[in-house]
Amino acid sequence: MARKDDILKSFLTNELLETKYELKKEELPSTIREALNSDRPIIKAIALIVEGLEKSPSATDNELRNSILQFLNTAI
Amino acid sequence: MIIKKVQIENFLCYYSLKTFQFEDGLNIILGENNEGKTKFYEAVDWLFNGINNELENLVSAKKLQEIAPDDSFKVSVSMIVEQYNSEYKIVRSFTVNKSNDNEIETSNFVFEGQETDSTTGQRIPINGQVLLDRIFPFQIRKYSMFKGETELNVFENEEALANLINLFSDARHFEKYTEKGAFLREKAENAVEQSTKLNQKNQRAYSVLESEISQLEREKERLRVHLNSTEEEKTKLEKNIKEAEKYVDNAEALQTINKRIKNTEEKISYLNSRIDENYTTSLFDENWILVNFEPFHKEFAKKVSAHSKTRRELQSDFDKQKGIKEGEKKAKAELLNNAVPLPIGVPSKSHMEEMLNDEICKVCNREAKKGSEAYEFMMKRLKTYLESQVIEENEPEKDEPLFKFDYTNRLDNLSISHEDNLKNLRLIRSKIKDLFEFNDNRKKDIEDLKEQLEKEIKERERILGNSKIANEDKLISIFKNYTAWQEDLSVLNKDFFNLEAKQKEILKQLKLKKEEKDNIDLNSASSFLLKTRDILRHIEIVFNETKEKKFDEFIDKLESKSNKYLSQINVEAFTGQIKFSKKRYGGDRIKIEVSLFESGGRYFVPGTAVRTSLNISILLAISELANEVRDETYPMIFDAPTSSFGETKTGDFLNLIYETSNQKIILLKDFIGSIKNPNGTVKDLFIKDEFNSIKRKKAFWVKLERPFDKNELSTINTEVNPL
Repeated sequence: MARKDDILKSFLTNELLETKYELKKEELPSTIREALNSDRPIIKAIALIVEGLEKSPSATDNELRNSILQFLNTAI
Repeated sequence: MIIKKVQIENFLCYYSLKTFQFEDGLNIILGENNEGKTKFYEAVDWLFNGINNELENLVSAKKLQEIAPDDSFKVSVSMIVEQYNSEYKIVRSFTVNKSNDNEIETSNFVFEGQETDSTTGQRIPINGQVLLDRIFPFQIRKYSMFKGETELNVFENEEALANLINLFSDARHFEKYTEKGAFLREKAENAVEQSTKLNQKNQRAYSVLESEISQLEREKERLRVHLNSTEEEKTKLEKNIKEAEKYVDNAEALQTINKRIKNTEEKISYLNSRIDENYTTSLFDENWILVNFEPFHKEFAKKVSAHSKTRRELQSDFDKQKGIKEGEKKAKAELLNNAVPLPIGVPSKSHMEEMLNDEICKVCNREAKKGSEAYEFMMKRLKTYLESQVIEENEPEKDEPLFKFDYTNRLDNLSISHEDNLKNLRLIRSKIKDLFEFNDNRKKDIEDLKEQLEKEIKERERILGNSKIANEDKLISIFKNYTAWQEDLSVLNKDFFNLEAKQKEILKQLKLKKEEKDNIDLNSASSFLLKTRDILRHIEIVFNETKEKKFDEFIDKLESKSNKYLSQINVEAFTGQIKFSKKRYGGDRIKIEVSLFESGGRYFVPGTAVRTSLNISILLAISELANEVRDETYPMIFDAPTSSFGETKTGDFLNLIYETSNQKIILLKDFIGSIKNPNGTVKDLFIKDEFNSIKRKKAFWVKLERPFDKNELSTINTEVNPL
């Protein structure tokens, strides 16, 4: 498993996602690729951040912000 | 990475070129004190960290003496290491020139590296520092070399935790997420704020809230800074107190013994002042001299009494005579029919003599023959006259008393007064006895106190002898500082507590104000912006909590691994359990406190040996973590890490270390015996048989070439003997 998948998994197993977004553990994606295709905005937003920060060179603050806003604009 | 070879050339006691060939696993270097063990450690440390400063202090005195003026030689320390099947060499060196006037000059200070191509075998030069940092990173080296037992406590250094996390914890990957999470949330909140402000209706209330929040944020920041600085002061004080605690027992004991000595001296002085041996004053001023006066007084009283009686008798006689005279006068008067006699001298003396001569009383004109009554009368009359003439010249007045002064009465009074004083005089004997007894007892007390004082002074010398600081003033000053620091710390703790309470209050108010602001946002900002903000707020929370969790996992892992080593090092011995406690301070900083607990959860203070076991266990755990995370092993070098252990425990410790994976080089003074000369000096040294049972890959014995002159550095040469 790639490090970015590990990092994603660490985030997605946080209880807050279950309590606030009713995400079941079995629904959780195990890779970045799967997460980027998720229909849950928070999962995809996290995946976008991990993807942006783990790529080389990592995304700048503005790139990161724009990609998130662009995605959320269409998703919510 | 393993160290394959270390060569030391003309460095301090290592005269000429000395070579240590090491193996992976446990390497032991044995050596008596001052025979070259620590100099090996210092040589490696110099190789890694040496600078071009005071190089003349690193030169072998033997080599220097050996060469001729104008000649030169090289001082160097080199290391050959193997990593991923490649071989690297690093060398730090300089040249020493001896001038004509025997002065030393150093030059050509260099730090070189060399990489051997594994396929071609070609040697490629490379900057020494670059190569060293590549093969043995600085952060790893910090946890690889330890001199003595005290350096083993890595958590003494506040940066240690951050370093360890950066090196070995997954938490290091999450730092950037917490930063980006905060950035994205902040931007989303700003967007919501801008949107809300466009709504004129809420503008006033919103700006009041914003101002209040901004003020609270400023207060929060002020408190954070204050908390951090208070915490820093606290840490500094705690460190000082901890340092002082090494001496404070002795300092406190010294303080107590000094008080006792002062008290004893004061008692002695007081008792001395109470001893009254001014016997001369007592003898005269207090009439002690009269102690045997009674018999004299009795004799005196008897004499006074007799004298008084005599006087009274005389007085009585006198009175009687006086009475008789008075009676005679009276009788004469009666004889003259109470007629008044003629005055004495009438008739005159010459008439009387004439009449006596003529034997005729010419007054009554009668014959007065010699022997007749008339003749006798005239004769008596003349005699009375003549006597009256004499009396007028010599005798006192007829009314004068017998005794003009009443000395007898005074003597009587004196005697009575002495009688009264006798009661006091009789007490003098017991007073003298009491005083002598009192003085003797006080002298005895003083003797006892002096004996006690002597013991106390010896005790003080013992305390000073036991202390690492033998200077009494310094020790007392440490105790005073220690007490002051403790008071300061108590004040700081109170301040800190109050600041934390204020901080909590500010955070509470801030939360309420932000909720109010959120409520306004909810009615004013666009739905998209609000949802975006909420998602990004949640993402930030997830990022922060995940980082925290990773941090905790790392600490748990380190704790678990440390406990595994601790129980292995102290087989069949009580050690307790290591507990890593995360302590957050100043609101944004974290430090780790390492403690030992009994199974019942009770905290206890370990002795030096257990503390050393604890520190080594943590180091071995860190080393194991380094292996796991980096997929690489690094050597560890310990100089005298177990000086508080006994030889048996050191043996157990070495056998445990032998089982661990990475390379260890351990310098010890154990397992060396000595043969003594008759005068007690060391004749020769030998390796004890017990060392044969110690598992190791390689062992060396560093030993001074004998004979040598202990006062002459140029005779010192450490030999390296593989065992």
